[in-house]
Amino acid sequence: MKMNKNLIIKEKLIFTKDINTNKNREWNPFHSKIAAGIRKGLIPNINQDSKILYLGAAEGYTVSFISDLIENGIVYGIDISPYSMQKLVLLSEDRKNIIPILEDCNLVNEYKAFIETKVDLIIQDIAQKNQIEILKKNANLFLKKKGEIILSLKLSAISQKNINIIDRELKDLETDFRIIKKVRLEPFEKKHVLVFAQKK
Amino acid sequence: MDRNEIIEITKQKIKEKLNNADQKIINLSQIIEKIPNNINELYEQLRVITDQEYPTLDQALTIKEYVSFYLLENKSEENIKEINISDKNINEINKIKNSKISIDLNKDINNITLNLAKDILNLIETKERIDLEIEKLLQENYVNAYHIATPQILCKMLEIAGSFKRLSRFPASTIQLLGSEKNFFKALKFNKNTPKYGIIYNHPLVVSLPFKNKAKFSRTLAAKISIAIKADITNNEIYPELNEKIKIKHKELK
Repeated sequence: MKMNKNLIIKEKLIFTKDINTNKNREWNPFHSKIAAGIRKGLIPNINQDSKILYLGAAEGYTVSFISDLIENGIVYGIDISPYSMQKLVLLSEDRKNIIPILEDCNLVNEYKAFIETKVDLIIQDIAQKNQIEILKKNANLFLKKKGEIILSLKLSAISQKNINIIDRELKDLETDFRIIKKVRLEPFEKKHVLVFAQKK
Repeated sequence: MDRNEIIEITKQKIKEKLNNADQKIINLSQIIEKIPNNINELYEQLRVITDQEYPTLDQALTIKEYVSFYLLENKSEENIKEINISDKNINEINKIKNSKISIDLNKDINNITLNLAKDILNLIETKERIDLEIEKLLQENYVNAYHIATPQILCKMLEIAGSFKRLSRFPASTIQLLGSEKNFFKALKFNKNTPKYGIIYNHPLVVSLPFKNKAKFSRTLAAKISIAIKADITNNEIYPELNEKIKIKHKELK
């Protein structure tokens, strides 16, 4: 796998090259689960012109770094909260490759019209009980054949009583996807697993 | 679809979501929740100094009366009457003045405390204005629920449900227990008795009943609130009939 040229890893610190100013920006693994995954050895397969669907974009901290990585691509940021979306819309005015969409990730048909071409990668960062069901719905509609996903599983959102549910959840995921790698994000994020998989 | 078109649609949706009555009511009631605590804290700090000048006066007057009395430049009897303090309390003030147990504060300290008192009065007025605004919004949009559930309880229910539309889908039994979710699920987990009431416990009609009948009445009340909320969605005015039924039940149980 070829590493993206805008992604720089130096002495345990992660930087991206800003598309507007060409300076290095530090990517904090304590704020972003994708950065935590990179620190743990899971480097996402993002090209200069890949198209990405980001479910649970929130205020756009991670989305801004991903927009650095894809100079010619597009990232669709979807979120349900109007307050977070205000900040994401402001961010999208500076960065021309972000498209903000205010919708519920559960209701795929509502934003089907906005995403015309299929995407290369889906990143999901929503803490919901039916996380995997939502991911499958989106992947069926929007993901290319052999496209990839990055899924951040929040274990405490799925079950408070039983924390050892990774296997059960991943079995559910394996019906549609081939799991390539999984890491726990322990020093950076508690009770989280980052999964990297490919559509069958 | 073009990128700019999608962004325009998103901007419109943000406006629609933020500009509805439910969101305004929830925001205002969240502000109002913390204001009384702030007022009480500041009032206690003010009294550390003013108690030297007017000891035990706080027991006779309300916070608003106390602060507005303290802010008067000329504390003559006519001026005191203007800020709606009763004759009984004016006698109390005179008694404290004549008792010679207090000291006169110097000007520098007085200037500082006057500012603090102004802040407290401002907070009290803000709270009153927000209360009025919430009542206005509720009366315009949800008449039935406003009259049956009282504004404070309705606001808290809205906060938990997120929107009035979602609240209207709750059954009466859920409305009865709104606010006691933690206790309810704890009881289910350990096979204990489930709670009988949630926020509804603070309703003036429930408070006035003997302890034995509170649960029975809160069940009736929750049923009527649920009907009222559903009537609001369909724009019917049925609160006088519901109120009568509630009053009959209340008389039985008193």
